[in-house]
Amino acid sequence: MDFRLSPEEESLRKKVEEFVLTELIPLEPEFENAPDIFEGSRWKTRAKLSRDPEVARYVEIVEGLEKKAEAAGLWYLDVPNEYGGLAVGNVGMIAVTEELEKSSIPFELGNHVSNILYSCKGEQIDKFLWPCIRGEKTSAFGLSEPASGADPSMLQTTATPDGDDFIINGTKMFPTFADVADFVQLFARLPGTKGREGVTCFLIDTGTPGYRVTRSIATIAGTEPCELVFENCRVPKTQVLGEVGKGWELNQAWLGARRFQVGIRSHGMSQQVLGAVKDSLRRDAKEAQKSAGDIGHFLGELEALRSLTYFGAWKADQQMDVRTEAAHVKLFATELLHRVIDFALEVVGASGLRKCGVIARAFRHARSRRIVEGPSEIQRHIIQRALFREGVGLLELI
Amino acid sequence: MDLRLSEDEKLIQRTAAQFVDRELVRREGEYLKQRELFLPPGDPPRRVLDPEVRETLIQRAKQVGLWALEISDDAETTPMSAVARVLIHREFGRTILPFAPACIPTVMRQNSYVKPLVDAKISLSLAFDQVHKTGTLHGIETRFREGADGYVLGNTHIDVFDPEADLYLFPAREEGSERAGLFLLERDISGLSIGEEDDLTTDAAVAPMTLSFCKVRQEQLLGYEYEVSELIASEQLRIAARSLGIGTRCLADSIEHARNRVTFGRPLASRQAIQWMLADLSVSLRSCTWLTLEAAWRADHELPFFRAAALAKKRAAKMGFEAADTAIQIHGGYGVCKEFPYEGFYREARMLRLLYGREGEIDRAVGERFLT
Repeated sequence: MDFRLSPEEESLRKKVEEFVLTELIPLEPEFENAPDIFEGSRWKTRAKLSRDPEVARYVEIVEGLEKKAEAAGLWYLDVPNEYGGLAVGNVGMIAVTEELEKSSIPFELGNHVSNILYSCKGEQIDKFLWPCIRGEKTSAFGLSEPASGADPSMLQTTATPDGDDFIINGTKMFPTFADVADFVQLFARLPGTKGREGVTCFLIDTGTPGYRVTRSIATIAGTEPCELVFENCRVPKTQVLGEVGKGWELNQAWLGARRFQVGIRSHGMSQQVLGAVKDSLRRDAKEAQKSAGDIGHFLGELEALRSLTYFGAWKADQQMDVRTEAAHVKLFATELLHRVIDFALEVVGASGLRKCGVIARAFRHARSRRIVEGPSEIQRHIIQRALFREGVGLLELI
Repeated sequence: MDLRLSEDEKLIQRTAAQFVDRELVRREGEYLKQRELFLPPGDPPRRVLDPEVRETLIQRAKQVGLWALEISDDAETTPMSAVARVLIHREFGRTILPFAPACIPTVMRQNSYVKPLVDAKISLSLAFDQVHKTGTLHGIETRFREGADGYVLGNTHIDVFDPEADLYLFPAREEGSERAGLFLLERDISGLSIGEEDDLTTDAAVAPMTLSFCKVRQEQLLGYEYEVSELIASEQLRIAARSLGIGTRCLADSIEHARNRVTFGRPLASRQAIQWMLADLSVSLRSCTWLTLEAAWRADHELPFFRAAALAKKRAAKMGFEAADTAIQIHGGYGVCKEFPYEGFYREARMLRLLYGREGEIDRAVGERFLT
């Protein structure tokens, strides 16, 4: 057994740590009042469209950071070798995110490439994958529908074959950034199929006739997911991602890969929130004494979350099935983050809800995390299903 | 990072698992069986393992190398790693039969008592009552000072949870320097007396121990601060590992029962209320497993591990208790019956939570460190 990062992972972690210390943390005061759109790596497209000079100022700062990160060799981390990246594994990427989360600046290293796009074949590679790796294009993920969320096997959008094309009809709910994305990864089913059968993934360019982004929807989390409508939208079969009828595996792979990042992000956000609690208690020794036990409890839980996350990521790196681990991490992480924030607000009081503060920001973001990419109830369902299928053998050490 | 068990560790785990299944779990029925058809009023007496069975089990455990894990047989073999000990105690936690490898703390290695201890001719127990509150050295109140050819221990009244033991390890602080020291007390030395035994609600006994003008020889001081803290941490790891075993057993049996038991025409396993209890237990069991293994791994690699051990103990013992609670609930009426192991796990795990640091105290120490 060895709980240490490998020498390569450790040197990468150190590099990121250095970057956070010298580049991100000094910018923190400046970002205290930054608008919410600087969330995640796809901030650019949205922020660039803004006419607000204040936003433009932040765009400039973040673009400067990007250049510095790229120069430091920290940009194409999880991109596979054959696409010119460093092919950093899950454990390495968890270590990277853990360092980044030590700063409250919403900054990610690398362009956001949806992991299922690595299934691109032939012309798709130049048209969709490369531009995403280079940061020239962004994508949205169209799975949920008005009547199918937690259970995506109920999706109703249809893809009817017609010669060399498919005709898409249906409505998609909540793809984030679809309004500014260059294409959408859309899941639809072949006519006459049910459940997981016949689900097919299409890559559909924004602006394709019959595909409309009808509106964006404001949410508590500050993200603005969209509603998409497909009316007799004709898509050539060359834009099927993977194989026709084999889309279910892709949607599961997309969901699985993100879980461990959710774990370490919740860990980082909780740490920031507890840091804010610490600051607020600095002037009040009596209050601090009262809260010390609860804070200690949460720090212990976070330690547990961290080790659970690293274990899952490590197992994923061994090419083992990690769907159950992913469910454990997603459930534990998002529920714990929620409890930490709830506690923090009880300590800090109403002023903790000041919109620009760390706690208020976390309060709004965290609420949606218990829902998106599979609500807690679905995670519990996945875990119990595995328990009844495999028994405690599921918990055996490897 | 490599979280795979080594081949040696796998072998050790398999050996322990087989021993527990073949020798211990198999004997549970006989041990738990109610002897009389109708019981006299009042709480049933404390259960004890038949001394003959115990003797047989000790011999068999020795044969397969599952005895006195901290002590190597000869100078050439190294004693078992902390990770291996966690794996072993985790297996032994899976049974309600009160039998586990004797713990002979490493400070005893050079001692003349080590041979009879390994042979199980005599027993040793930790008189760490003053430590249980916080799990740190802070709780130690008894003072010691140097006297004529030895030390004098201050007058003390504590509880000991193993009143039958022949030897006790007892921590005290030096007058003036306030540093902690670890003493080996023989049961029969003058100034030490053990009062009347009472049953605990776990299947164990408790008795008051009194030290009054207790004098000990120089060589009975076995170590100082680090030795006491290390002993606390290794006990915490043992408790954490045992709790993992309790959790695993309770989860496994609950899954099995839920599959088979039918209510209102459907198996319990199909009910969400049951499914969710088990899913939550799985999350907590899994995270405790990694915390415990990581703390043990740190101990093996001479990295600081005291805090990690305290956290592992705190979470694992709580998880063990909740696992037993869940198992009782899912087994319904059978769950509270003494012929099933779950009520026993429930009573034991409640005690484990109170040893070597209560939850609130461990949390408070972590929180205070964070806030300063």
